Amino acid sequence: MDLISLYPTWYEPTVGSGWVVALIATFHVLASHTSVGAALLFAYLSHKAYREDRDDLLDFVKKYGLFLMVFTYVAGSITGPGIWYSTTVASPNGIGALIHSFVWKWATEWVFFVIEVVGVYMIVYLVGKVDKRTHMKISVLFGIASFATMIIIIGILSFMMVPGKEQWFQEGGYLNGFYGTNTFIQMGMRVAFMFTMTAVVGGIVVASIKDAAFKKEMARKLGWLGIIATLVGAGLFQLYLTSVPSQALLVMENRLPDYFGPSIIAVLAGTLAYFIITMLRPQTLVQGFAGGMAVVILVAGLWPEETARESMRKPWVAGQYVYSNQVIGRDVPGMDVKSQLPIIEKVGILQAHPFTPEHLKTVTDNNKIQAGEFIAMTYCSNCHSPSQTGIRPLHRYFPEGITQARMESYVRGVLTTGNIAYMPKMPMIESEVKALSAYLMLNNSGGDAAVQVAIKEELKAADHALAMQKAQDKVALTQEAQ
Amino acid sequence: MMDASQVAQVTEMMYALRNPAGVPTFPIIFMGLGVLTFALHILFVQIMLGTSAITIFGSFSQSPYWRRLAAAMLEIAKVSVSVAIVVGVAPLLFVQVVYDPHWYTSNVLSADWVIGFIIILIFAYWAMYFYYFTNGKNKDKTAQPKARWSMMLSLALMLVVGFIMHSLTSQMLHPELWKEWYLQNGVLDYSGSQLHAYNPWRFAFFISMAIPVTGAMLVTYRRFKMVREDADMGYLNWAADLGKTWIKVGSVIATVLYLAWMMTLPETAGSFATSFWGIIGGVMVLFFAIWAQVRLQGEAKFCSYMALPVALVIGLIVATSREMLRYSILNDFFHYDFMDYKIVMDWYSTGLFFLTFAIVGGSTLAYYLTIAWKAGQTVGVYTPSPAVNRMGTIALWIMILWVIQFFVAGIWTWVQ
Repeated sequence: MDLISLYPTWYEPTVGSGWVVALIATFHVLASHTSVGAALLFAYLSHKAYREDRDDLLDFVKKYGLFLMVFTYVAGSITGPGIWYSTTVASPNGIGALIHSFVWKWATEWVFFVIEVVGVYMIVYLVGKVDKRTHMKISVLFGIASFATMIIIIGILSFMMVPGKEQWFQEGGYLNGFYGTNTFIQMGMRVAFMFTMTAVVGGIVVASIKDAAFKKEMARKLGWLGIIATLVGAGLFQLYLTSVPSQALLVMENRLPDYFGPSIIAVLAGTLAYFIITMLRPQTLVQGFAGGMAVVILVAGLWPEETARESMRKPWVAGQYVYSNQVIGRDVPGMDVKSQLPIIEKVGILQAHPFTPEHLKTVTDNNKIQAGEFIAMTYCSNCHSPSQTGIRPLHRYFPEGITQARMESYVRGVLTTGNIAYMPKMPMIESEVKALSAYLMLNNSGGDAAVQVAIKEELKAADHALAMQKAQDKVALTQEAQ
Repeated sequence: MMDASQVAQVTEMMYALRNPAGVPTFPIIFMGLGVLTFALHILFVQIMLGTSAITIFGSFSQSPYWRRLAAAMLEIAKVSVSVAIVVGVAPLLFVQVVYDPHWYTSNVLSADWVIGFIIILIFAYWAMYFYYFTNGKNKDKTAQPKARWSMMLSLALMLVVGFIMHSLTSQMLHPELWKEWYLQNGVLDYSGSQLHAYNPWRFAFFISMAIPVTGAMLVTYRRFKMVREDADMGYLNWAADLGKTWIKVGSVIATVLYLAWMMTLPETAGSFATSFWGIIGGVMVLFFAIWAQVRLQGEAKFCSYMALPVALVIGLIVATSREMLRYSILNDFFHYDFMDYKIVMDWYSTGLFFLTFAIVGGSTLAYYLTIAWKAGQTVGVYTPSPAVNRMGTIALWIMILWVIQFFVAGIWTWVQ
């Protein structure tokens, strides 16, 4: 049969499903990067505490650890699977492609994750209850396990942009998919930025230190860590851009919002200034200042960075073979995966979609808007909200008063052919082109309210037609019987 | 009831939804790991629910023993939430490998709840921490705790997320209704705002298992704490007696609810309720009560420690029954067989997982848990023996070697 692997569509009208994923992912990045950076910092501080026989350092580890446990471990450990949850509902085939190639890598990460969670409790609760040497060992094991969770996940994140090696398409194989230039550079970049975040979030804990000399020592330690990490990270970001497909750079140049560049530079400069100020004058380091800085990094630094990464992948969502609208858009002989475009070209998207309701399988005058809406939800809504708000709303792309003929020629000439570089190729049969165009016209002029009214009319008309048909059949049967 | 052609349509849809990338090893392995990790996950969920309930009850009680127990169980509740979450990641991973058509569809159709799950769980956990920070510094564990509302809120929210998960799992078992749920009153519903299926008996059964499992926890608590020099045996014996009662009464309650679940299975489950796996689940739950009656007499030192492993084994059998129910509905009725998933074998990543699981996980957790165990039983500072220290050094070297192999394999692949 001609069904392809498409799921129902979830459409969130206010912000759009894509942004729901981005919000959760950004929050998770802050929490998880801080956790990993802090784990390595704890290993260092515990080692120093053991070598120099210092209790104040262990006390700092305990305080920072407790802070992390409540904020980043709770939120981080929940938003981690939370990313699965959100991508499952927003992009099931995107996450499915990753899961089916890298399930064992995730399972391996999970082993380290278990060690990490048990470890953080031990680090916090065993200060003063075990000797310093044991605490150091626990911390070092915890630090490496935490680092391992990060390096494992980066291979999967890189694959989302591009498989590690080009051979993956022909030969398949986990190693080819996981490791590549992009993987290693991204790893370096994230390690650097995770130390930046550790230094910023750590400031919240340093702010609460009463002893002025110790506060100064810790502010300097974190300040240097932050400055070096930020500079290295910024340098590696430039290098990272050389490792992405040229298509991604093109998208970045053309599609990223204007605020992206300036905001990244402002955040970098602000972060460096923050570290220098707190090093020179530790007394300025109060909890509100440090907390505010963490929020600045989250909102002005991580958000554009995560949005950029998501935008640059377009039209793909995973491995350069799954389109952002969930259709498989190219052959991958190494995984015995076939492009789904030929099937759709043959039978149309309505016939190929397993969840098309029976009454929409064929476009008629009585279901055109519903069918058009179904196609728009399937093909467009991952990247364009059909509502007034949300992610890149559809209505912004068409001039007011556009004619049906012009809309059809746009859909036929641009969408079904894949003529826009960062948009998927979206095959449709002729009746579907007409239905989608009619829907887009209505959505453009009257918005969702007009669409819903039209759908109600269509349903009424369809019911009426059905009743008429039944009546006619009945008359025919009666006449036949007579 | 559906006719053959309707069933065939549903089956065809499920097969179409499979991920074309296939799976990297035999599907039965994912299923086995899914059952094992689900059993561990639900055990910690049940401990978390039970210890939270004790914390709340104790906070309202005037009895000093109850108050002390409430304070001690709060510590266990806190850790159990973490462990339940981290262990829960594994079955979540494995279910979407072999049952992706079902899990993804069920999720998308209730997407708002799936997102709500994350937010509600974070607040549930923070509410527990709020209670902890409000009362944790009290030296007097028998004082009346403050902010009891936050602990009650935490438990209530935990039950809500449990129910969401229950509903998503139930929806997986009804592929024949998916298209109906997507089409509400003739109009497609893209909102994901509804939970469409649930079975209150099934939910109540899994929640009620918190009673015997927490009973087992209490028995273990006494055994663990009794060796400390400062142990208060009057209090500990009281807690263990309470635990024994909870195992016995709780198992009977759970068995009744299990029966109710089996009696309310959908028609698509056929005669599962009277099949071997249908019966053995209930029998094993009841067996826990009998085991406690026979084996937890008097001091029962060794059997005190056995209470939790026995609970885990029973949980494993119930988890297997639960999996067989899913298989029975999807395979026997709908002829969807997870075992015939396309395999794109990848020996390297399969092998690496099992080695990491056994060697890295085994050595590090053995060291961690030994330290935690000994430190918990020691008054003052615990200094490990040379043998325990060596365990730590070995774990450290194994972990370093793991990281080295990660980079060696990576760089070798990269330069090829």
